[in-house]
Parts: sequence; C-alpha cells; structure tokens
Amino acid sequence: MTYMAIPNIGNYTIALATAVESLGIKAWASTATTPEALKLGISAAPESVCLPMKAHLGHFIEADRAGVEYAFMVNSVGTCRLRYYRHMIGRILKDMGLKIKIFGLGFDGFKPPIVRYFDPGPLTFLKPIFHTALKIKVIDELEVAAWRTRPVELTQGDTTRVMNRLLVELSESGTMASTRAIRKKAARCFDEIPIDRDKQPLRVGLVGEISFLRDKCLNKNIEYILGSQGIELRNFFLLGEELNNISRIVLLNQNRRKYLSRIADRYLQCTVGGHALDSVAHSIRCADEGYDGMVHLCPSGCMPEVSVRPILKRVSKDKNIPILEMSYDEHTCGVGIATRLEAFADVLRERRKKQVNK
Amino acid sequence: MLIDTGQKFLKKLSAEHMWKKSADSRVPLTIGLPRMFFYHIYPDLWETFFSELGIKPIVSGPSTAKTVEKASQISETEHCLPNKLFDAHLAELVGKVDMVFVPRVLSTIKNHLSCPKFGPLPDAARADIARGTEVLSIDIDETVCPLSDSLMLLGKKLNMRRDRTVSAIERAFSAMEAAKKNTARPAGKKGRPHFLLTGHPYTIHDNFIAGPVLNKLASMGADVELISFADNTPSKSYILWSTANAIYHKLNTISADEYDGVIQLTVFNCGCDSMMIETYRQLVREKNIPYMYIMIDEHSAQAGVDTRVEAFIDSLRWRQ
Repeated sequence: MTYMAIPNIGNYTIALATAVESLGIKAWASTATTPEALKLGISAAPESVCLPMKAHLGHFIEADRAGVEYAFMVNSVGTCRLRYYRHMIGRILKDMGLKIKIFGLGFDGFKPPIVRYFDPGPLTFLKPIFHTALKIKVIDELEVAAWRTRPVELTQGDTTRVMNRLLVELSESGTMASTRAIRKKAARCFDEIPIDRDKQPLRVGLVGEISFLRDKCLNKNIEYILGSQGIELRNFFLLGEELNNISRIVLLNQNRRKYLSRIADRYLQCTVGGHALDSVAHSIRCADEGYDGMVHLCPSGCMPEVSVRPILKRVSKDKNIPILEMSYDEHTCGVGIATRLEAFADVLRERRKKQVNK
Repeated sequence: MLIDTGQKFLKKLSAEHMWKKSADSRVPLTIGLPRMFFYHIYPDLWETFFSELGIKPIVSGPSTAKTVEKASQISETEHCLPNKLFDAHLAELVGKVDMVFVPRVLSTIKNHLSCPKFGPLPDAARADIARGTEVLSIDIDETVCPLSDSLMLLGKKLNMRRDRTVSAIERAFSAMEAAKKNTARPAGKKGRPHFLLTGHPYTIHDNFIAGPVLNKLASMGADVELISFADNTPSKSYILWSTANAIYHKLNTISADEYDGVIQLTVFNCGCDSMMIETYRQLVREKNIPYMYIMIDEHSAQAGVDTRVEAFIDSLRWRQ
C-alpha cells in the first residue's frame, strides 16, 4: 500500500485522510504533532523560523523514517512565511538525503500535479471528496458541541471521552452512510452527558494563528484547560467555515475579509496577512457581543500576529475586554501555560462577580 | 490573486474624489519622519517632497544605544529589532511636531510584496505610540498604482494645489535617484579586500545595526559595497518579498573575482531573513565565496561585532 504524509490540522486530519483516499492511496497522519516529531523538526530547521514550520518538517521527517514515500503540503498565497514552507521543507529534506517526494496544490493544466501523478479514476476520486466534505461538517459540529458542554459537565472529562470516542468512530467510518449515522448519534451522545443547567459559564474567544488554534500538542491542549476551568470557548478557526469562505471567493467573489475589515476599520485598515485581521475583527466583535475575555495565540515572532498586538492592546482598553496574549516557542511548557490560563480564568471570574454586584 | 479586490476598489474611489476640496484637513507646519523603514527604503524622497510643499520635515536622530534602550521600554517585546527602533524613533518625534508621517508600504515593486509587518504600521502607531498626535498615512502599493499616484493622493490629503504637488514629486524623485546612486561605493583598490554587505535597506543604512560592522571593516582597511535596491524591474523568482528577491538576484550574479567575501546583516526576529538565509548561504557557497552572517539584537555592541569581523578577515588571509 502506498502512503502519503499530510500535515496535521488537529481533528480535521481525520477528514483530510479521507480526501487522500480519493487518490487510491492511504494517508499517514496524526491529529496532533508528536513531541518526537517536534524534536526532529527543531534539530533540522534553521533556528529562527516559526514553530509551525518546525512541526511540519518534523512530521515529514518522521514520515520518511516510517517508510512513507509521498507527502503533501499546502500552498499559501499570502504575505507571510507560510508561502515558502513547501520550498524550504523540500530543500531541507533533500539536504538531509531523505527521499520523500512533496506535492503541493496548484494547477498544472486541467489537473493538479498530484492528481495527474496518481491518476485515479473519476469514481474513486469523487466519492471520497464528498465524504470529506461531510466529515469536515461533522467535526465542526463535534467541536462546537464540545466547547458548549465541557464547562458545564458534572463529571470532569466526560466530554473529552465522548468526543474522543466519536472521533475514533469517525476515522474508522468508510462509507457516507455510517458517517451520517455517527452525525445523528453525536447529538444524542452529547445530550446524554450530565450537565449543570443553572451554571452560566464565562465566555472566551480564541483567536490567532491557525495551527496553534488547532494542534493540541502545539497549544498544549488549551481548549481542555480552559474548558475544565468552566469557560465556554469559541475557537475562531473552523475548517468548514474556512473552506466555505474560499468557495465563496471563487464562485461569488464574496470574501469574508471584506466584512471583517468593515468591523475592524477603526483600528486596522489593512488585511496584513495570515489571520491578523481576523484576530482584530473577532476581538472587536466578541467585545460587542459581551464576551468575558479573549485569548490570542501565536508562535513567537509570528510576522502578522505579532505586528497587530499593539492594536489588540488598544481594543482591549477601548472596549474593556481582557485579552491574554500567549506566544509559544520550543521551550514552552504545558504547566506554565496551564498556570497562566488558570490565573486568567480567576481574573475573569472576579471581574464578572464585580459586574454582577454593581 | 495577490491583489485584494476590496483595496483596489477603494483606491479607485479615492482617485475619483482626488481633486475635490476636503474642508476638514489642515496643513501642518512641521511633519515628523521616523528614521526607519520607509525613510531608508525611499532615501531623501520624503524630506524633499515635504519641503517642496512648504512643510518643514523633522527627521528623528540616527539610532544609538539610547534609542534601543527606549525601544525596549516602550515597544512590543516580540517585534523585530527595526520595528522596535521604529517605535522609539516615533516616540522621539511625538509632541515635537504637528503630524507624524507613517505610510503603509505594501509593495515597493510591482507584483512583489514587502514585509507583512509594514501593513499595520500606521494603525499600530495610532493605537499605541503616536496616540494624541495626528498620523498622516498613505498606502504605497506599486501593484495597484505607481508611487507617483500615491504621492498625488498625499498632496490632495494635505490640501495642496495640483501643479505644486506635481513639481514636488519631480524634485523628490530626482533627489531619490541621486541618493540611491550615492550609496553605491567605488570599486576597491588593488590589494584591499572587497566585501559585499547585504541586508534590508533599513538595516544596512541604520546607524545602530550596520554602524559597528561598517566601522570595523573600515578600520581593518576593507572596502565595502552596500547592496543596491535601485533596480525597479527585477526578474522574477520564487521569492515575492522584494528585498529578499533583490538580494537573491545579486548573489546569483556575483563571482569570486569581484568580492572577497559576502557579509549578510540580519536582525533578531526578522521573519523574512529567517526563511531566506539558508538560500543565500547556499548560493554563495556554490560560487566558493566566503560568507558570514551577523545577527544584531538589542544587546549587540561594538566589541562583539569586532571579534567576529576580525576572525572573518583573518580566516580569509589564511585562505590565501
């Protein structure tokens, strides 16, 4: 069996693995970067590149050692470093003498080179694509349900257990019928979790760089830590929404960025690159919607996200919403992150008490 | 695909309303120019342009250790060094001038990009350092419209007459051309080592960042050529950042007869350089030219640079 390594974007890797089956091959993937892969990446990459690049590189090195022949890497058309990832990863792997072949997106005539290379039949190709879209939708729903349930669950860990079980089932599901069945079952499973109905959890928005919003290993499981502190999260990266946006740009020429730049206009009149505009616009929107706080994640030295930090500080002062800025590098330790988040949660709780007493 | 259609539309809109009088804008007497980023990217352009329009330009002093000290106190901790210095230069001007000028330099060459950090620069200035002072800003995006059009828009923003703006732009452009030619150094004399110093325009012309290296090289009796960014129509490569592309092409064309060594100047936390340095190194290695890169951060001082430059030049002697 031929395998292809794909970059991991959290739980969505399960859906992308199905997409790879459209080429008649199997995916080599994981839902979170392993610490070993990160270590490999750190030792191979130049020291001052950002952490997601090191994670991707390590992932591909690990894949090559496991005997995987092909790899897939997303292309970016943006302004930031992500644009050069594929080129650089390819070069580093070549210098190391590894044989793994890296494909990118991009069109070469009618078919992208990756499709041309494997040349699957039309039926093998199309069916998994629809299946992927369905799986992405299901994972979106699971994520949203988990953010809502986790802060109010009576027994800590219930949500995570249910979520993990469903994700395993989803990754094993081979037909669209079984995926639909899981989708129906998921709603019931989450309803069965015993919850505290009177509790009004704090609401916090999560913005920042996408691989940190999604990858549990890179962000040190921030969703779980905040959730078990009794905080209802809203993570502003859902792959379903992102793909929806891309298809709307292509088909209808409607970019969500236009809407976001209208929101952020007073503070930021430029799209910057990466998800910097999204961070600012979502922070403003959350402040207006009465969220209790925001957490802004980015790798240390991230070009777009760091450059909007002074603006986020101003938003925080003007709109009276606490924004916690977290930056991660190789030496970031899970315990340190947990301590900071717990302290932040305490501040938010006290803040709400004061507001209620007024 | 690169061009944001929303921005293009806005540009078109503002060009249509270009020559209608706007009542609320006022003409400042003095304008502050931070000696960073765009000041070095467009040498002499802004001073000439504003003084031709009858506005006195006030440029912040060259960066020194004091500027760096100030920068570390007021600036965002994770910015790159030039961005921190920029904040310190801006803080130096605030309060002394009627307006500060911070353009949004999105691209300096058509179909290329500049560093993404330049995008939110004026907004960050308004939000933080230059709060309370008016920040004058224009979008410079060569992909959408040439620099002269952006300057016309600036003239309009300042309520200037059209013919006056046109003549100011002409003068400013010729001043910039002359300044760009001046930075090109004469060819080295025989017997003296000849080096190429590469880096961003705002690092190789900055007093704090490039100063120690240039001083030491001069005192060791070496000739240094600073890389020139005068070429406005470079050939394309996979690199879209305009300065990185210019360096890439320059390193592609040099030969071992021309230069005894290449010194790459980089700054701590620079995103562009972190991706590109390996590429540069490989290019120069293939040509068998000695290569060294010096990374400058807030704690860099003359002594540390001295040691490295001396060691580099000594190793070149052994090579011969």
